[in-house]
Amino acid sequence: MALIMDIAVVALRMLLPIYTVVIVYQIFAAMRRRRRPERPLVLLQDLDTGVKIPVLFWENSIGRSRGSDIAVDDPAVSRNHCVLLRRKEGWFITDTGSKTGTFLNGKRIRRRTQVKIDDNISIGNKEFAFKRGEEFHEELQSSWFFSKVSGKPAIQPYKIMILVSLFHIFMGVEACFCDGAKDFDPAFLCAALLAVEWIFFFVSTVILKRVAFELEALCLFFTGIGVMLLARQELRTAYVQLIAAAAGMIVFCIIIKFIENPDRIAQWRIIIMVVAVLFLAVNLVFGRVTNGSANWVHIGPVTVQPSEFVKIAFIFVGASTLDRLLTKQNLLEFIIFSAICVGALALMGDFGTALIFFGTFLLISFTRSGDFKTVVLALASAVFAGFIILNIKPYVLRRFQGWRHVWEYTQDSRGYQQARVLTYIASGGLFGVGIGNGVLKYVAASESDLVFGLMSEEMGFITAVTVAVAIATLFIYARSVTTRSRSTFYSISACCAAGLLVIQMSLNVFGATDILPLTGVTFPFISAGGSSIISCWGLLAFIKAADERTYSKK
Amino acid sequence: MKRILRRSWLIFIVALAFLGGMCFLVVETVLGASDWVDQPYNGHISGSGGLIQAGKITDRNGEVLAESVDGERVYNKDAGIRKSLLHVVGDDSLNISTAVQSQFRSQLTGYSFIWGLDMPKSFRHGNDMELTVDASTCKTAYNALKNYDSGACVIYNYDTGEIICSVSIRTYDPNSPPKITEDNEDKYEGVYLDNVLSSTYTPGSIFKIVTAAAAIENIPDIWSRTWVCNGKEDIGGGDVTCVDAHGTVDIKQAFGDSCNIVFAELAVELGEEKMNAMAKKLGINASFSVSGVKTKKGNYNVKEANKNQLAWSGVGQYNDAVNPMQMAVICGAIAKGGTPVNPYIISGNSGSLLTDLGLSKTGSSLKQMISSSTAQSLGELMRYAVVNDYGESMFGGLTVCAKTGTGETLTGSDTDKNDGWMIGYCTDSDCPLAFACVVRGSSEYGYSTAGQVAKAAMKEAAKSLKK
Repeated sequence: MALIMDIAVVALRMLLPIYTVVIVYQIFAAMRRRRRPERPLVLLQDLDTGVKIPVLFWENSIGRSRGSDIAVDDPAVSRNHCVLLRRKEGWFITDTGSKTGTFLNGKRIRRRTQVKIDDNISIGNKEFAFKRGEEFHEELQSSWFFSKVSGKPAIQPYKIMILVSLFHIFMGVEACFCDGAKDFDPAFLCAALLAVEWIFFFVSTVILKRVAFELEALCLFFTGIGVMLLARQELRTAYVQLIAAAAGMIVFCIIIKFIENPDRIAQWRIIIMVVAVLFLAVNLVFGRVTNGSANWVHIGPVTVQPSEFVKIAFIFVGASTLDRLLTKQNLLEFIIFSAICVGALALMGDFGTALIFFGTFLLISFTRSGDFKTVVLALASAVFAGFIILNIKPYVLRRFQGWRHVWEYTQDSRGYQQARVLTYIASGGLFGVGIGNGVLKYVAASESDLVFGLMSEEMGFITAVTVAVAIATLFIYARSVTTRSRSTFYSISACCAAGLLVIQMSLNVFGATDILPLTGVTFPFISAGGSSIISCWGLLAFIKAADERTYSKK
Repeated sequence: MKRILRRSWLIFIVALAFLGGMCFLVVETVLGASDWVDQPYNGHISGSGGLIQAGKITDRNGEVLAESVDGERVYNKDAGIRKSLLHVVGDDSLNISTAVQSQFRSQLTGYSFIWGLDMPKSFRHGNDMELTVDASTCKTAYNALKNYDSGACVIYNYDTGEIICSVSIRTYDPNSPPKITEDNEDKYEGVYLDNVLSSTYTPGSIFKIVTAAAAIENIPDIWSRTWVCNGKEDIGGGDVTCVDAHGTVDIKQAFGDSCNIVFAELAVELGEEKMNAMAKKLGINASFSVSGVKTKKGNYNVKEANKNQLAWSGVGQYNDAVNPMQMAVICGAIAKGGTPVNPYIISGNSGSLLTDLGLSKTGSSLKQMISSSTAQSLGELMRYAVVNDYGESMFGGLTVCAKTGTGETLTGSDTDKNDGWMIGYCTDSDCPLAFACVVRGSSEYGYSTAGQVAKAAMKEAAKSLKK
């Protein structure tokens, strides 16, 4: 009898890592399948030569510069002459400060003006007719990420949901039968988790009528792992985490709705910036010092980490539509905002988050300007600032002392946590010791900063690595999906939100495993922490919004 | 749009950097996992239950040193064997960190990188480990050592690297480990240290081997020179003293009689640079690994020394300190024509990934220390010392080359804490053993303290090899 039980336990342990790989593979395979065939949206026909130029994007720059989406080789055309863009109401054209002006049906346009089929657009000495996309017959190349566009349906969203739910049920079973277990608390937690997952699925597909659900399914999968890992560590935290995740899903839906109209967001930029700075100011004034950094604010029984929400604001402020991007190339506003954010975080002593903001700042500013000088300059000043920090805050230097030498400091703060993470990663082997059987859970911050180690110990190295790689792959998905974004606002925000998540995860995983210094940031979606999980779901909204289909009803 | 998309590939670099880091982590984990699990704090293996499933540990003849029976760790029946091998085998706790049961606890309990620890009971199987030591030799060495405060005796096969005997004093019985409190901590000072690997002692005259090696390699007429010893000589503004006035001696007699004045003069003549160079070649200040345990580094540093201190350093005083295992390896090098074989203590061990792949290094050669002609000359000096001073019959029928030493740890009248040494090797082809024995806390000379330990242990070790 004992033998049968043991066989079952080991079989389940071995099943989970393999199952993880299967789920992640299935979801990404489904993501690759779903795409409409590559066709131009409209086209411009040169009236002199008769050449048809396909218009591929929702926002297209027209100009003499070779990097323009529609390059016009004419000396009278400015480098960035005008922008042709599509909105819900139809197609529009905006002049982006050209010298010779943009003319629609012979009239010079002053503001954003609607364009209709068969209208004439003149720029410089060129004249174009605005035609339907169907009149273009040549083949267009698709992005490599998407497999051949075929009629075959991808795996149905509800099937993915069943796969994910089953995984969480298995985790619940493991937790119920872990060493020394006397109750079935994890079963109730698991039921609550499944309820949240399926309600979200129902709202998304039935009420909001969204076509795709792969991205959400992937993140539900991660969120569930985070919640179930807490089942045998601290049940109360597990429920808090679940509630926060549900709140995060609501935030996810609200943000998608909020950024539905990319032009409207421009009006909110200043307000969002002010609110974000206020958040940080409140944090600086009322923050309480925990683990050397004052990034927590206590409001009654709830503790929040305002910097987590500022991440979302940061992406808002950083992204922009193409016509604004070309008329207001100045980054100064964003640079000042970034400096305030990074500075405030450094003052709080939360250097990990400061680093995330700084990395994201580099990504956004480069994506917007394409200027390597800005990046190099920013890096140089960051190194300089780093030296100053090391002089002012000696405990940071202490962390560096332990870095790559944790085995010499297993009993003090320089290496205590990292050494235990490595020890228990090794103790878990490839398949883990099972949910609830880990020992790392008794180490402080194991559910947040060290969660990679906890996941690896209890669920196995394979699972931990697969989850981490899947989050990194999220960027590849974001990048591929943005070729069809409705605005550069979505492209920039999706790529940079994904970049932010990857940077954050890298700091978490490599900090805990002593490849980088430990900075104490959370693992996206999995680390326990209400503010953190809400912010992760919020950031996910940007990636979701970049998908062309998000705003098209069934 | 196109421009934005092109630029966004910058983020791809971030993702690539992450994947690179992940590969690095995977490689580090595969290579390091078996070391990472063996930590005293590891909740999966520490504590009393840690060894319940552990495998058997046996000596070279299959004598069981430790095994788990019905959920309890049982050590050898003979108290002498238990105490003598405490620092090699270890006890239930992880206090003796260099012992096999601490260092390889995860392997003993059946750890593998794939399955990790904490498998359900039915699937656990401990790995057995076979050691190179001979239990009866260790017990003999222990009996000879047990009345001293501190000491060590190591014997290893200089052809294969197998450690036959490794005993450290102080020790205790693993069946009843002492509770160390503030009241009795003096009595158990250093008890968790394996003095063979993790301690250093003042070498005294055995360091003349180093000075002699430097002289042989650097002074061409060393063999034709003679010195006059009056028992005392002023070198560099201070006296260097000898036990006796040895009169006119050549290098052989000086080595055999252990004449301080000759070797002090040689050290001064050779100078700081050449002495340091030879100490470095012989690895005095370096550490090497014995089945995963790093030996403690010795100390020979005459950078700051004045002439008198340099003189004393040449006869193993000043601030000289050496590790017993290192000295045994130097003897092994002399026996092997200058290049020693790295000693090891685990002969059979399934469970470590590297061993499974056949990659773990046992019995490999260390770096060449001295030329074979220097080795031969040193061997002649050490043989001369045995024949003329210690007596040919000291080791029974064994042909031994050796050197004794008495390291004075406190200058002045208090000689109670002398470090007595005897190191050497046997040249018989059926008994290729090198040894280093040291005892602390006797007023007598190395010959009558450590020498007696070496004599007893070597005779027993030779018997076990010929079995």
